Amino acid sequence: MTTLLEVDHLQIAFPRRDGAAIVPVDDVSFHVAEGELVALVGESGCGKTLTGLAIPRLLPANATLGKRTRIRFAGSDLAGASEPELRAVRGRRIAMVFQDPMSSLNPVMRIGAQISEAITAHAKIGASQARARAVALLTEVGIADPATRVDAYPHQLSGGMRQRVMLAIALAGEPDLLIADEPTTALDVTVQAQMLELLDALRRARGMAVLLITHDLGIVAGRADRVLVMYAGRVVESAPTAALFAAPAHPYTRGLFASIPRLEATAARLTPIPGTVPPPDQWPSGCRFHPRCPLAIAKCSTAQPPLEALTPGHDVACWVATGAVE
Amino acid sequence: MTTPLLSVEGLVKHYHSGGFLSRSTPPVKAVDGVSFSIAPGETLGLVGESGSGKSTVGRAVLRLEPPTAGVVRFEGHDLASLDPATMRATRRRMQIVFQDPLGALNPRRTIGDSVAEGLVIHRLATKAELPDRVAQLLAEVGLDASYASRYPHEFSGGQRQRVGIARALAVEPRFVVCDEPVSALDVSVQAQVLNLLLDLRDRRQLAYLFIAHDLAVVQQVAHRIAVMYLGTIVEVGPARSVISTPRHPYTQALVSAVPDPDPTSGRSRIVLEGEPPSPAAPPPGCPFAPRCFHPQRDGRCNSERPQLRTIGDREVACHYADS
Amino acid sequence: MTTSTRAGFALLSILALIAVLGPLLAGSPYAQGNLLTEALHAPSAAHWLGTDQFARDVLARFAWGARNSLGIAAIAVMVATAIGSLLGLLAGSTEGVVSGMLRRLIDVGLALPRVIVLLVLIAATGRLSTPVLAVVIGLTGWPGMARLVRGETLRLRHAPYVLAARALGARPARVLLRDIFPGTLAPMLVAATLGVADAILLEAGLSFLGLGLPLPEPSWGGMLLDAREYLGRAPWLLFFPAAGLVLATSTATLLGETLRRSLQPDSR
Repeated sequence: MTTLLEVDHLQIAFPRRDGAAIVPVDDVSFHVAEGELVALVGESGCGKTLTGLAIPRLLPANATLGKRTRIRFAGSDLAGASEPELRAVRGRRIAMVFQDPMSSLNPVMRIGAQISEAITAHAKIGASQARARAVALLTEVGIADPATRVDAYPHQLSGGMRQRVMLAIALAGEPDLLIADEPTTALDVTVQAQMLELLDALRRARGMAVLLITHDLGIVAGRADRVLVMYAGRVVESAPTAALFAAPAHPYTRGLFASIPRLEATAARLTPIPGTVPPPDQWPSGCRFHPRCPLAIAKCSTAQPPLEALTPGHDVACWVATGAVE
Repeated sequence: MTTPLLSVEGLVKHYHSGGFLSRSTPPVKAVDGVSFSIAPGETLGLVGESGSGKSTVGRAVLRLEPPTAGVVRFEGHDLASLDPATMRATRRRMQIVFQDPLGALNPRRTIGDSVAEGLVIHRLATKAELPDRVAQLLAEVGLDASYASRYPHEFSGGQRQRVGIARALAVEPRFVVCDEPVSALDVSVQAQVLNLLLDLRDRRQLAYLFIAHDLAVVQQVAHRIAVMYLGTIVEVGPARSVISTPRHPYTQALVSAVPDPDPTSGRSRIVLEGEPPSPAAPPPGCPFAPRCFHPQRDGRCNSERPQLRTIGDREVACHYADS
Repeated sequence: MTTSTRAGFALLSILALIAVLGPLLAGSPYAQGNLLTEALHAPSAAHWLGTDQFARDVLARFAWGARNSLGIAAIAVMVATAIGSLLGLLAGSTEGVVSGMLRRLIDVGLALPRVIVLLVLIAATGRLSTPVLAVVIGLTGWPGMARLVRGETLRLRHAPYVLAARALGARPARVLLRDIFPGTLAPMLVAATLGVADAILLEAGLSFLGLGLPLPEPSWGGMLLDAREYLGRAPWLLFFPAAGLVLATSTATLLGETLRRSLQPDSR
C-alpha cells in the first residue's frame, strides 16, 4: 500500500504568558496508507485533537510547529506550505469531521446549501448540479428522504443526522484522507454503531483513508487497521489492531484495558490506573507515564524512551517493554 | 419479603411547554408509566439512551421534580403525603450524585463548605466539629483534608466527583441516585470512581439507583438492570442475565452496540434503523415498534402497547419476547 | 490589564477627584461676579474654565455639576438595582400565578419608554429636588435589571449544584440566598455599571430640557442648556460640560465592559 500521509516529529508549541512555551504535542510520528483506517487513541489532554488539527494546518494562530516537523501528504510537505496551497488541500483532499455537529453546522443555513458550498468550493459546477450532488451525498450517508431533507435546517435534524450531514460535507470534495475527531462521542450508543458502520462502508467504497481520533478503545476494535496510543503528547504504542488487543505492550495501554468496564468481564473490581493525567505544564521528567506506572525502573524517571519496534509493525516507547526483548 | 427501600408505581412525568396560550402543543412524555422497587443495599441499574427518560426518573424519585402521576414510596412512606418538614428530614436518607462534576459544586464556595452543607442544614454537627467531619468525609473518598479550603475550579473532574460523593455521604443516606456519575470523566478516572462507589456501597450498605447509558459501566455495579426506552421500562432483570441473554429486541440492540474492546469476542452486531424518537411524539402501541427487527413484529405491535410480563428470571415488555 | 481597563480606571480616578475634591476647592457655583466686566470670559488664570453669562466660575459649576450628575446617577442605579433585583429574583424563583403576574409586570415595565415615563412623571409633579429626582430616575430603570435577574435566576434554578442543595434538604429560602442570588451578582454588577452611563445621560437630558435640576443648581445638562445661546461667543460653555458627560459615560461603559470580561468570561 502506498503511504498517503507521513507525519514526522510533529511538535506543537503554544506561548505562555510568562514567556515559556507549552508543548502539548511533542515528537509525534506516524503514517497512514491509502485506504487505511488508523485510530489515534488517548484521553483528554494527550494531544490527539491537536495532532489531528495540525495535519491540515488548522491550529490556532499562536501555535508554532517544531523545526523538525514534516507533514508529508501525497508528496508535498504541508508543514511549510503557503495558505493558497493549503486551501487547495483542505476540503478537497483532506477533510475533517468534528465531535459536535451542532457547532460545526451553520444554524441559519439549509443543509443542502452548506453541502453545495463545500462542493462548489473545489469544483466549478453550477448551482443545480451542485444541489443534485448534495442530494446524492445525503443518500450516500444514509439520510432518508434526501430530496426533501436537503432543504432542512440543522436544528430540525437529530444529532445522528447532523453528524451524517457533517460527513456529507466532508465527502463533498472527494477527499483522500478523512480526519474524524471524536465523531461519535456525542451520540447515543445505537446511533454510534450506525455511524461507525457508515464510516467503514464509505471508506471501503471510496478507497478513502481515515484517521479516527477517539478516547474509546472499544470502537476501534474490529474496525481500525492500526492503532496509535497517545499519552501526554507522545505516541507510546503503535500496532496493528489485532496485535494491540492481543498483546498490549505499553503499561499505559495495559492499564487502559484493565480499567475499562467490559460487558463480558467477570472481575468484581476494575483495576484503575492510579493517579491522574498530568497537564502539559506539569509533565514528569523522563518517561511521562512513570509516576503512574507499576513497572517503572530508575531509568524511567530520567530518560524518555524512544518509540522502537518491539516486533515488526508493533512499536512501543517503554524502557521496560523493549528491555525485555533484548 | 422485606419492605423495599424504594418502591415506584406508575411514575409519570409530562412536561408542558409554554404558558396559558399553548395548550395545543402536546406534552413531552418524558416518563410514561414506570414501576420498580429497590431493596436495601441493592443496586438497580437504569439504562437508556437520550430521550429514554432515565434522568427524569432519578429526579422524580427524589422529588426534585414533582411527578405528574404515580406513587413513590420511600421506607414505606408515600413521599407525596409528607409535610415539608418531614420531607426535608427524609431527604437525608436519599441523596444524589450528578453527572457534571463542575456544575454540581457551587463555584463560589470552598469544597469544604459544599461537603459540610448537609451537616449544617440538618444540624448534624456543631460549628467546631465541622472541620473534623469534613476531613473524615474527604478521607473516605480518597481526598486530602487540606483540600477543604480550596475551590472547585482548582480540581480535576475526578476529584470534583469525589467531592460530590462526599457531600452526599455527609448526611448518611441509605439510598443514592447516581445520575451518570462517570460519563463526564476520563476513561482512566472512571474506574477509580466506580471502585469508590462500590467500596462505599459495601462499607455503608447503600442502595443505588445507578443511571447510565453505558451498559458496560452499569454491569460493573448493578445487581439488577432495567432498560428504558422512550419513557417506559422494556426489560428488567438480574444484571448478568439481561446482558448475556437479552430478550427485548431493544436490549439486544443495545448490548450489541456497546463498543467491544475485544475483536475476537464474536458478539453479533445488530445495527438499528433510524434514530431514538423524540418523547414529544411517541408512537402508539409499542414505543420500539418503528425500529424493531423482531421477526414476528406485526400490526399488534403498532397498536397495542405491551405491558411488562414475567418471562424466566425477568420482566419484558414485548408481545413476542418468549418466541 | 488591557488598555481599555487601564483607561477606565484612570478616567474613574479623575472623575472621583473632580466630583469629590472639586467642590471643596473650587469655590461657589452660584456666586455671580460683576456682570459687566466678568461675564463670558474665556478660560484664564483667574477662571480656569472661564465664566458664564452670569459671571459665575465655570470650573466651580463644572465641579459641582460633576457631583450632582454623578451622585444622581449613582443613587438612581442603586434604586433601580434594588427594586429590579428583588422583583427579578421573585419572578424567577416562584411558580404559577405569582410568577406569571410578576413576569407580565416586568414585560409592561420594559415596554414603556423610559424617557417618556420620566417626562410624564416630572410634568405631573413639577420640579423635583435633587434626591427625589435621583429616586424617580431610578424608579424608571428597574425593568431592565428585573429581566436580567429573572433570566439568571431561572437559569441557576436548574444548575446541578442548586438541585444538590435541594436534595440535601435545604429550604427554598436558603437555596435562593446562598446559591442562586450570589450567582446573579456578577451580571447585576455589570448591568448596574453600564446603567450608570444611562442614568447620567438621562439626567443630563432632563436638565437640558429644563426638567431636571432647578436652574441655579449646577448640572452638566443644565450647563449645556445655558451654553446654547452663547455658542458663537463662548464655546467653552459648551465644551466643558460636554467633555464631562463624555468622560463620565465612557468611564462607566469601559468599567462595565471590564467587569463583564473578568466576571463573565464566557459572555461576549
